[in-house]
Amino acid sequence: MEELTRNGAATLVMKGFEMSQMEENRIERDTGIRKIRRISAQGQVLVKTGDLVRPETVVARGTVANPNVQKVIIYSQLGIDPDEVERYMLKEEGDEVKKGEVIAIHRSFFGRSTRICRSPIDGTIESFSKSSGSVLIRGMPIAVEVKAHLPGKVVETIPGEGAVIECRGNLIRGRFGVGGETIGELVIVAARRDESLTNELVTKELKGKIIVGGSLVTIDALRRAASLGVNGIVVGGLDQKDLTDFLGYEIGLGVTGKEETGLTVILTEGFGPHPMEEETFHLLKSCEGKQASIDGSTQIRTRMLRPEVIIPS
Amino acid sequence: MDSKAKNESYLIVDIDDSLTKAALIDNVSGDYKITGISQVPTTVDPPTLDVTVGVEKAAKDLGQKTGKQLWEAKRPSKAQRFLCSSNTGGGLYMMVAGVIGMISAESAQRAALGAGALLIDVFSLSDRRPDFEMIETMRSMKPDMFLLAGGIDGGAVNQVLDMAHLVSAADVKPRFGSQFQLPVIFAGNIEARKRVVDKLSEKKYAVQAVDNVRPAIERENLGPAKEAIYDSFRQHVIIHSPGYEKLATWVDEPLVPSQAAIGNILYSYSMERQANLLAVDVGGATTDIYSVYNGVFNRSLNADIGLTYGISNIMKMAGIEKIMRWIPKEMAEREVRNIIGNMMVLQPTSLTPDEVLVQQAAAREAIRLAVENHKGFASRLKGIRVVRTVADIFGQTLEPTYLDLMKTRVVMGRGKIFTQNQISDAAIVLLDALQPEGVTEMMVDRLDVMPHLGTLLKTNPDAAKQILQREALSRLATCVAFRGRSANGQIAMKVKITRRDGATSGYEVPFGELKTVALGNGEKAMLEVVPRRGLDVGMGRGRKLETEVIGGKLGLILDARGRPLNVPAEKEVLVRWKNSLAMGQQLSS
Repeated sequence: MEELTRNGAATLVMKGFEMSQMEENRIERDTGIRKIRRISAQGQVLVKTGDLVRPETVVARGTVANPNVQKVIIYSQLGIDPDEVERYMLKEEGDEVKKGEVIAIHRSFFGRSTRICRSPIDGTIESFSKSSGSVLIRGMPIAVEVKAHLPGKVVETIPGEGAVIECRGNLIRGRFGVGGETIGELVIVAARRDESLTNELVTKELKGKIIVGGSLVTIDALRRAASLGVNGIVVGGLDQKDLTDFLGYEIGLGVTGKEETGLTVILTEGFGPHPMEEETFHLLKSCEGKQASIDGSTQIRTRMLRPEVIIPS
Repeated sequence: MDSKAKNESYLIVDIDDSLTKAALIDNVSGDYKITGISQVPTTVDPPTLDVTVGVEKAAKDLGQKTGKQLWEAKRPSKAQRFLCSSNTGGGLYMMVAGVIGMISAESAQRAALGAGALLIDVFSLSDRRPDFEMIETMRSMKPDMFLLAGGIDGGAVNQVLDMAHLVSAADVKPRFGSQFQLPVIFAGNIEARKRVVDKLSEKKYAVQAVDNVRPAIERENLGPAKEAIYDSFRQHVIIHSPGYEKLATWVDEPLVPSQAAIGNILYSYSMERQANLLAVDVGGATTDIYSVYNGVFNRSLNADIGLTYGISNIMKMAGIEKIMRWIPKEMAEREVRNIIGNMMVLQPTSLTPDEVLVQQAAAREAIRLAVENHKGFASRLKGIRVVRTVADIFGQTLEPTYLDLMKTRVVMGRGKIFTQNQISDAAIVLLDALQPEGVTEMMVDRLDVMPHLGTLLKTNPDAAKQILQREALSRLATCVAFRGRSANGQIAMKVKITRRDGATSGYEVPFGELKTVALGNGEKAMLEVVPRRGLDVGMGRGRKLETEVIGGKLGLILDARGRPLNVPAEKEVLVRWKNSLAMGQQLSS
């Protein structure tokens, strides 16, 4: 098993995402699916073994360190030498501080001259450097949570971190995707697996759905789907140029999942026009109307994480 | 070579993420030779999760091929010395930090890259990023090892402690598991050593202090840091990969990172021949550049620039138009982009003719980008006050980089792009990407055994050097090219070749053309080149060059396209250039 972190939440996926294995097992019908859902920090697990969960059920909640760390050079604010700062500190490592709170004070000339140093943010004193007379203050922790993503049963809990959710269903692995986890009803919009998914096929009724196309999704269809609030697109191919135009930047490495387009796109075959594989298309078609849990996250290099479509039974 | 070494044979294995490649080296009638090569898939990943399984398969397979018993008692036979290099897990991921980016941090980078590391980030107090951003980066990109430098001996202490403070605050976790200690090597100001070690040990790093990489502003001392990196690699990093603990008990010499082995053999080759050398190693995910100029070795690595996983990144960094300009046929941008995208996503093992053309075009840009990056490493030490003289105004003595293609005797290519296609294709990629000047020998590592030979170098240097020159390196051609430009069609150089038997031949090469002349592989001849006024083949503008040249598989290449090379908009010119080299291959075969 490999641990993969996405959007602050950790997902564990089974082995089998390695390319050669993936090519053999791109489709798994009516199979047991287990997903480990955990937050990337210690927190509170909100489910227990045996619980039935829905995709939107929050499994665990916690906090992660705030990336905002500010360096405060105290000695210059107090007008003293760095190695003297320790004597004038009011706070220690680990102390919480509020924005504007005094963290060091220096009185001289019998109290006639007072110089103070205040915290620029709400946070915690992360560390104090005697040699440079400065502190690092980290912002308050950020709340994170992880949802079940698929309907199923909690078969195991991971203390302080999350749980393992199990369900039966069909699993389809794509070759490349963008956008993270989302859920929605499957709607087949292309009549054939070699038909393009064009602008006209994307209608207002598809808001919140996961739509399935044939060989190629056009840039106009992508943009319309995103603007209408379609949750996801599963399609054979997409021109790389259109993906670049849609994202507004060039994807350099095959590491995706954090794109903020509001639309998850999964390519089952690759870039360019490719009729969706017959088996994939027919399986998706047979599942029309069912809820699907999809994830466009892709990591190609060593971990070989591929995007996936899960259609629980 | 001692007498014991003379009779030894060697089973040498190099393990990378995809392949475990074994080579058997034997003493055949007094000469060391590669008597067999075998490669099998690497077994470090699930479901096998044991690197020794692949080693066993490779050794047994090689044993069958060579008719020798290479596997006995569940380990490599003791009849051969067993050596191993490794590059699994994508290589040795390192972060380095120093006080000043262009001084101590740069020396630390050279040490890390020279030791074969994949550098994931460089930090310094002169970094433009705020501290919190550096800390977050350190935390989020889990390395295998951290190298901290800073301050000359007897110099800055407080700044070094500040950097140590940042590293300590980041509480960096190693890639191989947060329950382990991250190895941190301190190679900075000796007077700050104790305090730095104390500071970093608080956070449970596995700290090791070695001599300063920059003991004085005008001196670098990379050896101790590189040795410490090797030690940490063996003690802390590689043992976390499945099976390496067992493998470590089999080897007769300590395991080395593959890139370090490659660097060692290239350095040795350059020193042996007393020739400046520039080598490019284009992989699927990374592009390495190695250079040796006047005895100074440098390696730089462009992580995430490669021809499968890293090919989209080439497009991102160079721009699609830069790639398309090298494709010798009209192709729509959409088509090229889709091919590149699919190479990244699907990593196909066999390519269509169009995919080959796109990959070769991308390879030229990958090398160009990597060489540009390398120039920054292959430079005189920064921070030294240089006294300029009047001569410097006219001369080249203060060039910012050692890398000078006019002074490069040998260029080499490594990687599938140079071995899986026609020799003429390998040559045109190398020519276009590097644009050698003057007289340059062009070679490729056709057998892909440089890691093996680099590993053998320490145990039996004569054997390693002998095999490299006689078997491993494939000589493509010697190229003659000039610096400068002229008008298309004008005679740019007049060339006279005098062969060993006294036969002479003369050629006039118009500007803009590429011509091959038959000269047998390894055959020596005297070359006389007279460039047109304003053009320089190494002796000054318009001045005649006389030198000895060695033929290769394509003979001799007369490259009259000028430097810097202008890529023509007309695709038929690219086709003509390509065909010229293919013609050379036919003539010489």
